[in-house]
Amino acid sequence: MSAWSSLTSNKKAPVSRDSPLLPTSHLGGAITVKGVLDTQGELHIHGNVVGRINADRLVLRAGGYVEGDIVARDVHIEGHLNGRIFALNVTVDSSANVSGRIFHNTVTVAFGARVDGRMPWRPLNYFESLDQLPETRP
Amino acid sequence: MTIFNRNVPEPTTNGRTSMPETTPSPAPSSTNVNRPVASSQPMSNLSPASTSVISKALKITGQLESTENIQIEGEVNGDIRAASVKVGSNAKVKGNVYGEEVELAGSVEGKIEAKKVILTRTAHMSGDVVHQDITIESGAFIDGHCRPEYGKTDSKSAPLSYKSPSAPPIMPEKTNGIGAKA
Repeated sequence: MSAWSSLTSNKKAPVSRDSPLLPTSHLGGAITVKGVLDTQGELHIHGNVVGRINADRLVLRAGGYVEGDIVARDVHIEGHLNGRIFALNVTVDSSANVSGRIFHNTVTVAFGARVDGRMPWRPLNYFESLDQLPETRP
Repeated sequence: MTIFNRNVPEPTTNGRTSMPETTPSPAPSSTNVNRPVASSQPMSNLSPASTSVISKALKITGQLESTENIQIEGEVNGDIRAASVKVGSNAKVKGNVYGEEVELAGSVEGKIEAKKVILTRTAHMSGDVVHQDITIESGAFIDGHCRPEYGKTDSKSAPLSYKSPSAPPIMPEKTNGIGAKA
């Protein structure tokens, strides 16, 4: 069990996690979601999300806004994030605006990105044993 | 000297200063191009960007609100408001669904309030349907009332948010008026 699968819906073992059968979810630019989003697949966000996100891969598009913690294997940020990221691989695009800690194993930050927060490196087993998110002060 | 010789021709071919500059310099220009496009995207053009798809792998606990269309193939625990809502055949919604148009092929536990409601043959509806125009295909399951009161309930659903500030002062006036007339 790995971080994203243990933290995500945990009904079924990660059987379906890497299968391409899982369709990508899109949240359009006009949408506002308040609550918990939980998926074993890929999630693209153009709109606004307030709440916790668990995913295998998360893409926050330019114009999108997320307020809350993100737990995923891969995270790609082009939009505005106010919250923490717990992910093995993080890419922060040049149009991104991130405030909050980025817990990562590998991170890429593009020239032009705006990042306000620490970027703590964590080993792989940190994410594997990540059952409960730590309390961190902003 | 060989190093210098290697370096010298490259700036001349580029016509500009140093070689590491060449790779970053396209990046800012592309971002400058992208930013206005990105800001205009959600407003106007891209229909795939404006239509939201909750795939079968996604479970949402909470509210969804959109001025565009929402297609649900996964699971939603909470209320949904959108211009048009399509609930796919394997989708599950626990909560109320509000929209101009609602097409249900999956299951809903809660209320549907929409101008136009379509229950397909695979629909499973537990709760009331408030509509103006309804289509029920053979095979659809309904446990609840179907009430053609969408226009009236629209005015009812609108005051829901205003209830606490506006409704109390209006109500006494009405009763006073009625009482005076009577």
